[in-house]
Amino acid sequence: MSFARALVAAGPSARLAAGRVTASRSLALAYRWHSTAPRQQQVDPLVSNKPRDYLNPGPPIRSPGTETATYSATNEPGKDYDPYKDGPSAIDKAVHLFFFTEIIRGMWLVLEQFFRPPYTIMYPFEKGPLSPRFRGEHALRRYPSGEERCIACKLCEAICPAQAITIESEARLDGSRRTTRYDIDMTKCIYCGFCQEACPVDAIVETQNQEFSTETREELLYNKEKLLANGDRAEAEIAANLHADHVYR
Amino acid sequence: MLRPLQQSLRLPYRPLRTARLLPSVSAVRSLATHSSHSEAGVADPAAYCKDYVRKRDYESYLIGGFYPRHLQGPFFALRAFYVELASIQDNVTNSMIGKMRLQFWRDAIKSIADGRPPQHPIALALYDASQRANLPAYHFRRIIDARDAELHTPTHLTVESLTRHAESTASTYFYLLLSLLNLSSSDTFSHAASHLGVAQTIQVLLRALPYHASKGRMIIPAEITARHGVRQEDVFRRGGNADGISDAVFEFATVANDNLLTAREMFKQSGGGEGGTVPRVAMPVFLYGLPTRDYLGRLEAVNFDAFAPSVQLRDWKLPWKIWRGYYKGDF
Repeated sequence: MSFARALVAAGPSARLAAGRVTASRSLALAYRWHSTAPRQQQVDPLVSNKPRDYLNPGPPIRSPGTETATYSATNEPGKDYDPYKDGPSAIDKAVHLFFFTEIIRGMWLVLEQFFRPPYTIMYPFEKGPLSPRFRGEHALRRYPSGEERCIACKLCEAICPAQAITIESEARLDGSRRTTRYDIDMTKCIYCGFCQEACPVDAIVETQNQEFSTETREELLYNKEKLLANGDRAEAEIAANLHADHVYR
Repeated sequence: MLRPLQQSLRLPYRPLRTARLLPSVSAVRSLATHSSHSEAGVADPAAYCKDYVRKRDYESYLIGGFYPRHLQGPFFALRAFYVELASIQDNVTNSMIGKMRLQFWRDAIKSIADGRPPQHPIALALYDASQRANLPAYHFRRIIDARDAELHTPTHLTVESLTRHAESTASTYFYLLLSLLNLSSSDTFSHAASHLGVAQTIQVLLRALPYHASKGRMIIPAEITARHGVRQEDVFRRGGNADGISDAVFEFATVANDNLLTAREMFKQSGGGEGGTVPRVAMPVFLYGLPTRDYLGRLEAVNFDAFAPSVQLRDWKLPWKIWRGYYKGDF
């Protein structure tokens, strides 16, 4: 940043001056002193190095008068010169210094990490943490008695924004309505979780399983048996997740 | 990569075996903890409701034991219904889905009245309860409508609107309990129950203040927070360290305490029972005052810092307090 600023502000000549400064600070200071400082002899009214013109003597040499008695240190000629006028500012130099320490600190961090165990996990055998609300592969749940929960209310089918769910139902002999067909097209599903939220009996849930890639597309068209099997496999996990973030008012 | 793939291929062909395994697993577990929920589900709705209340609302589970034995099932059914409706709002991300679930319950209440409940364990248990006692359907509808309104306006501007909401939810639930005990004709009981409902609603809201703040909701009415110069964003970011939040909590808790005291005074004035105590028949309903009083006392002990860890925990002395309150006839 400091480099760019110097270039933009003062053009190539300033960069040249800055280069000289960084090459040798004391020499550059001495150089600038000779070239830019006003010469004291010209300023001093009492001393002149010009050859004296005797024919036209000019104004007579006057005494500086009584006011020199009131001069303070600020009136000394040449003292208002700013030796840092053309070089980099103190902030620019500080930036260079801190950039350097930044590099050192970055390298120290690398050195620390070198002696630490790696963050990587052996993925198929080790798995990272998942939120209880993670939305993965779908499952249909059962009651602990083994009865399936779904009552074919079709709220999930209605809310599904991708229209991935298809339900057909009929009444059983005991009068309860059950699904005869519950299909989810996993290639359409967008995993929004609305089916889980809409279900009044917590029947359709999204489990934490995310590894259900298949070789053919047809295997991703889930039917009721597949969904119930998912539920049976993950029931303990699903129940724990549902209980993990329950709250009511 | 290949192994999970094979698993998912194989799984559809063995659902029956795992299905048969499951009940026995839960039965083994239930021996250690609880004896009656092994077959919970549509086959045994009462056990399902009891288990549901035990997991979601432990205070009610403790109180349930003081109901007459034949009314315990209906009590747990009513409480499970109440908890189910109350938790809908936190389970949905979209108010339309919440409305759909509430519509399911509206239809369920209607079909229970018609004598053909849906195959939902709570609905079946409610149907069973409605066979045993006269539970007016308008109370159920009032709770559902109040929860529906809450989906759109989860926070309240004034204490008055919050009180109205509490009377439509918690107080209405107490009216249902009074109907269950066949005591709904008494004015004293109904009036005390309405005040107790307000106190209980505020207690539950205060207890959940850290949860709601983490979700970016301010449940203390704006009227109170404005009076104490509480900035909502400050509360969401800094919790209990926010400026003025403990003053606002104090004022909100005072509203709850006033309602609780009013409900207690009612029995002192009317002298309903023997010596100003609550009659034993109505005591199970008013046991809900004990967890509320217990919470408010603990809140006072930490100087109304609702974010303190000690008020977030369940009080281990609560079962004893409820048991003693029942036999003293006071809440």
